[in-house]
Amino acid sequence: MSVTVRVDREGDHASLAPTGPFDLAHATAVSRAVEASEARLSGCVLIDVDLAQLDRIDGAGAVLLARLLDRLDAEGRAGCVVKGDNLEAARLIALYRERRVDRPAPQTLPMSPLARIGAFASELPGKANEALDFCGRCGVALPKTAASPSSVDWRSLPRLMQEIGADALLVTSAANLLVGIIIAFLGVSQLGRFGAVAYVPELVVVAHLRELGPLVTAIVVAGRSGAGLASEIATMKVSEEIDALRSMGFDPVRWLVVPRCLALAITLPLLTWVGDALALIGGLVATSVIAHITTRAYIQATVNAITVEHFLAGLVKSPFLGLAIGLIACGQGLLARGGAAAVGARTTTAVVLAIFSVIVMSALFTFFFALMGI
Amino acid sequence: MPLQRPHITVDNLSIGWGARVLMEHVTFQVERGTIFTILGGSGCGKSSLLRYLIGLEQPGAGRIDIDGVGEPHRYEGVPPFGVLFQSGALFSSMTLAENLALPLSAWTPVRGPTARELVHSKLDLVGLGAFGEHLPGEISGGMKKRAGIARALMLEPNLLFFDEPSAGLDPISAIELDQLIITLSRDLGITIVIVTHELPSIFLVADYCIVLDKAAKGIVARGDPRKLRDASEIPFVHNFFTRSSPTASTKSGRVSQWPSRKATRDLASSS
Repeated sequence: MSVTVRVDREGDHASLAPTGPFDLAHATAVSRAVEASEARLSGCVLIDVDLAQLDRIDGAGAVLLARLLDRLDAEGRAGCVVKGDNLEAARLIALYRERRVDRPAPQTLPMSPLARIGAFASELPGKANEALDFCGRCGVALPKTAASPSSVDWRSLPRLMQEIGADALLVTSAANLLVGIIIAFLGVSQLGRFGAVAYVPELVVVAHLRELGPLVTAIVVAGRSGAGLASEIATMKVSEEIDALRSMGFDPVRWLVVPRCLALAITLPLLTWVGDALALIGGLVATSVIAHITTRAYIQATVNAITVEHFLAGLVKSPFLGLAIGLIACGQGLLARGGAAAVGARTTTAVVLAIFSVIVMSALFTFFFALMGI
Repeated sequence: MPLQRPHITVDNLSIGWGARVLMEHVTFQVERGTIFTILGGSGCGKSSLLRYLIGLEQPGAGRIDIDGVGEPHRYEGVPPFGVLFQSGALFSSMTLAENLALPLSAWTPVRGPTARELVHSKLDLVGLGAFGEHLPGEISGGMKKRAGIARALMLEPNLLFFDEPSAGLDPISAIELDQLIITLSRDLGITIVIVTHELPSIFLVADYCIVLDKAAKGIVARGDPRKLRDASEIPFVHNFFTRSSPTASTKSGRVSQWPSRKATRDLASSS
């Protein structure tokens, strides 16, 4: 049965008879039928609505009829519901008319590109302020931690080191092994052109121990633990756990951020060290497979190439990179406001910022060491 | 007039996880158009029972049948009932109007001004007409629950499930919510199943109730809550409705023991 609103006119008097199923499933058709009937009512002053022909009615159908009657009333025309034998429909329409609240029309204009750039720029000082504020609180937290060690959740440190360090060993090792293989492949193909394959072991040692080892490990950990820590703390923030900590007199920076940053600063050098060893093995395997160089000669060349400076120049970065990952992840987590969407947004920002800052810091260390001649 | 089929029939249902049985031999019926409450102390399995009724869990033993739907966990298609979760469960990244529009866009072809009209009519119905553009984080707990009810009503269901609707609300918000529930039942003719332990709310809205008990692992009483309060001989039920503690009652000699599981089973099968 199709949805129609029959209109019978006699002078300035009209009779509306909605017919068919007035329910949610037919809401679009109902809306169209109501609009069509409204267009035929111009000039009518007295309007009756006969609900007896309705096949079915639910809230959606009732709302659309109720709004028609509201509009007719607003124009000063007398719309009158003829109850007939359909009390349910009359009751539903009356309920929706009675509960109606007038709303001002929404005044949201689409933003122009220029306005969007302006809005973005206007948020920047606030964001910088938030970041500086967090750095300041972390700076204050360090001496306070030394003064009262019990304000830090030390019991969580072994668990965090397990989760951030030991559990990540497999993935960081695999990444480093593959990077070692890649460097060796590149070395053999490029240096081989000059007959300098004998320098491949030294290339792997210098490239990986000094630069790529700490960087690759930190990027993997930033992606893995950065996301984990940021979402954990952001969830605590939106579910008021952080507020609960503060209300009990705990400083969330000392209680949560210090052990996490510490766990990262301790485990990242260890992961890097294991990664370095695996990269050297990767280099050995790749070189022995594609170049005419014996394992013994490769190992000898590697041992000669490894110096304390190369080794330390790499390892000394790792705790700082770990610290940066921890501060960014925890800081973003603590800035979360709202609900589930805020957790997702902060986690994304934390991972992006952590990876980017790890790369920038690595570059800065390299410049510094180059200037110092190390 | 022919006798109407019950809206929900629960027959000999067992609920629990793995080997842990929370309740067994649960049997009851919910009549069409009534407000039915499921009562019981914290941790007795009220909310778990609700999860079975709305089809989130599959019964290990026994059967749930919703008229026109069949077994809820097997049902696929337009959701045949609305559910209000304890916290309101609104999507925090969407405004209230967007939250309400979600089921419409998923299950109906209604879009544009008509959809907006339907969304706003439901917000008006629950008294949140002016808050359509607010995010859930910007409104109070009571308002979140009302918005949750509005969202549950979007697909025009004839059955609603409420999980602790008035928990955590101030008395005035709780009464407003109870009045809204009565309006939904009376004016829209919706069958309403409420899980709660809020006594004032129970006495105000409920037509019929079942009382669950953790120790007895099942239903210990059923009927009109006002009559149960005044006349129940079962110690747990008496204590529940009069808010007296079992130990205090024991001292006054009114309560001697919790009902046995066998007694509960007999009660369940006799009704």
